Amino acid sequence: MTPEQLEKLESIERVREGYADLGYICSRQIATAIYVAGHLGKPVLVEGPAGVGKTELANTTAAYLDLPLIRLQCYEGLDEAKALYEWRYAKQLLYTQILRDKLGEVLGEAQGLKESMDRLHAHADVFFSERFLAPRPLLKALREPGGAVLLIDEVDKSDHEFEAFLLEILSEFQVSIPELGTIKAGRRPVVFLTSNNTREMSDALKRRCLHLYVPFPDAPLEREIIQARIPEIPRHLKYQLVSFVQQVRELDLKKHPSVSESIDWARVLLLLHADELDADMVRQTLNVFLKFEEDIQSVDAELYGFTRQAKKADGARA
Amino acid sequence: MERTFTNFLSALRGADIRVSVAETLDAMETARLMGWSDRQSLHDALAMALAKTPEEKTGFTRIFDEFFAFESFHDRRDGQETEENGQTDGGDLLTMLEAGDRAALAFAMQDAAVEVGVENIRFFTQRGLYTQRVLQQMGVEGVDAQIQAMGGQGVGGSAGQALRESRAWLFEQVRNYVEQQLSLQGAATSQELREDRLRRSRLGNLDRRDREQMRRIVEKICRRLVALHSRRRKMKNRGQLDIRRTMRRNYGNDGVLFELEWKKRKLDRPRVMAICDVSGSVASVARFLLQFLYELHELLHDIRSFAFSGYLIEVSEHFKDNIADEAADKVMQKVGYMPTDYGESLTNFRESFLADVDRNTTIIILGDARSNNTDPKAEYLKEMHERCKRLIWLNPEPPPLWGTGDSEMRRYRPYCDLLRECNTLNHLERVVNDLLETAQRAA
Repeated sequence: MTPEQLEKLESIERVREGYADLGYICSRQIATAIYVAGHLGKPVLVEGPAGVGKTELANTTAAYLDLPLIRLQCYEGLDEAKALYEWRYAKQLLYTQILRDKLGEVLGEAQGLKESMDRLHAHADVFFSERFLAPRPLLKALREPGGAVLLIDEVDKSDHEFEAFLLEILSEFQVSIPELGTIKAGRRPVVFLTSNNTREMSDALKRRCLHLYVPFPDAPLEREIIQARIPEIPRHLKYQLVSFVQQVRELDLKKHPSVSESIDWARVLLLLHADELDADMVRQTLNVFLKFEEDIQSVDAELYGFTRQAKKADGARA
Repeated sequence: MERTFTNFLSALRGADIRVSVAETLDAMETARLMGWSDRQSLHDALAMALAKTPEEKTGFTRIFDEFFAFESFHDRRDGQETEENGQTDGGDLLTMLEAGDRAALAFAMQDAAVEVGVENIRFFTQRGLYTQRVLQQMGVEGVDAQIQAMGGQGVGGSAGQALRESRAWLFEQVRNYVEQQLSLQGAATSQELREDRLRRSRLGNLDRRDREQMRRIVEKICRRLVALHSRRRKMKNRGQLDIRRTMRRNYGNDGVLFELEWKKRKLDRPRVMAICDVSGSVASVARFLLQFLYELHELLHDIRSFAFSGYLIEVSEHFKDNIADEAADKVMQKVGYMPTDYGESLTNFRESFLADVDRNTTIIILGDARSNNTDPKAEYLKEMHERCKRLIWLNPEPPPLWGTGDSEMRRYRPYCDLLRECNTLNHLERVVNDLLETAQRAA
């Protein structure tokens, strides 16, 4: 970390404010996580339901610390060649073919096998150099001279093998490449791993990371988030909308509305020039934040109650 | 400070939060970074370094609050550090008691507690012992002597009375403190003892009050089994070249075969059909068997459950939609407590579900094979046995009782690949472990 970056991370409050300026409202836990991770240089494993801003957290961190963001999306079947590096055999082969004549020149006047060998040795590493290495996200992040923010997204979707492979990088910040040797990070990247909990991560991985659980935000925080994202939203609408969404999250649904979806909904309502929630408008726009027919039906049944409750909460405040 | 910290960690371990050595180091570094002044930040930061699942976080918060409950005393302590020097003796204690200086007393108590090593307390029977030791360390003898003297002179009056009351109060305080330490430090050991007992006792003999505890143990066993077995390993079958994949992979190299691909096989988790007897004769164990089935649903990908007494129904749906206890209740409501009819139930199974049994399926039957002298229809079991890969029968009765009275175990026995007595949690665990292991090897 450079002094400027450390200064940006000097206190939890400062982190919170800095992120808020970039439009990311973080809870105290999140700010603490960034503060601790920044100072200890440990990776952070971020878990939580979909759409609470896990990925966005990494984006904002990159912007805040003024570092490049390097993202690795995990999926089943992801392997080293796609995550770390690939050796370009074809290019190596091609070069050898083309340079055959040049080789002749190099070895030109050499007498005997031994001398030729020695001459060749002088150029030995040409064919095993980084020219033939195609770096993939992980290697890029390690070699970034000024440091980087590395986002390993949805790590729960990757295979167990890949998870095990990550261990070396996460604890030592180095990787072993058979052709070249061990490459160590010049400056430790800030690492975020996100997981939607589709499967339990191994203890070994958890042990190497700080663990941050991001739940759905409570009402005041969600209001702040919406305010930050859509500053022009009318106050009444904001209060009622957040209260409504919070009530919906209490129901047993297939998929609960995420923060990003409530932001979308707020945008839609704004577009329809709504100043307040009303039941009909809500019904027409339910599909913005509910993506399953069953969910829409079960919310529809509670619609009037929820709208009234939302208005009441707003009224009580006023 | 380090001592406090290690005590805290051992309390965490007592609450089922796994803390590795690496995490201990992280946590200490975190604590150093955060400082001890801001309670909430310290809590948040330590929670990140130590507790790594939502359940663990809840446990962590509870222990954190309990453990660092003496915060207010600590604050005062800083101010008093200058006046305090060395051991407290009886005289000091007397003055403190007479002056009613509670803060000073509280922290004299903590000093004494550290001196006698209260954090080593493990069992509730040690409460008295440690309470006495702490009191002695604080110099309670001096106070007792004073009370004696006052009483002896007959001039005790109100002063003696007040002192007696203060001493009683002090005793209360110390005992509370020791009990609190016990609940933090002793939790681990007594928990282990209790679990061990529960694991070994007959499922039918368990008390109702142990149910909650039982549920937690079952959950724990299952979680461990999941961790052990949920990995789907790819087995590389070295020696057999996969020509197609090798060619494809080496297109880029102008057809020169730089990299070879070997044939791989994926090992799959087993397909399981579990059939559970919930009739009157096994009513006492049925609940736990159902509980276990429920947890199995989380564990195995492809599992279907059936319950029967007089007849048989599929109950997979109940397990999917409900939480454990509710699911068990619903199943019991539907088919529970009726007289058993194995013949009828096997007929039901054969008619409706036998078609789904293939040679990758493992069938597990949980029941005592007591069929009230009806026709056992063992031939249907034979049919099931022939179609499936393995048929496992878990019987809650001990082997000598098999085949006695109306038990049809002897007739069913030839068609079971594996027949086990199963009436404690340890049995259950062993069987499931077995099942998963062989399933992986055989696949």
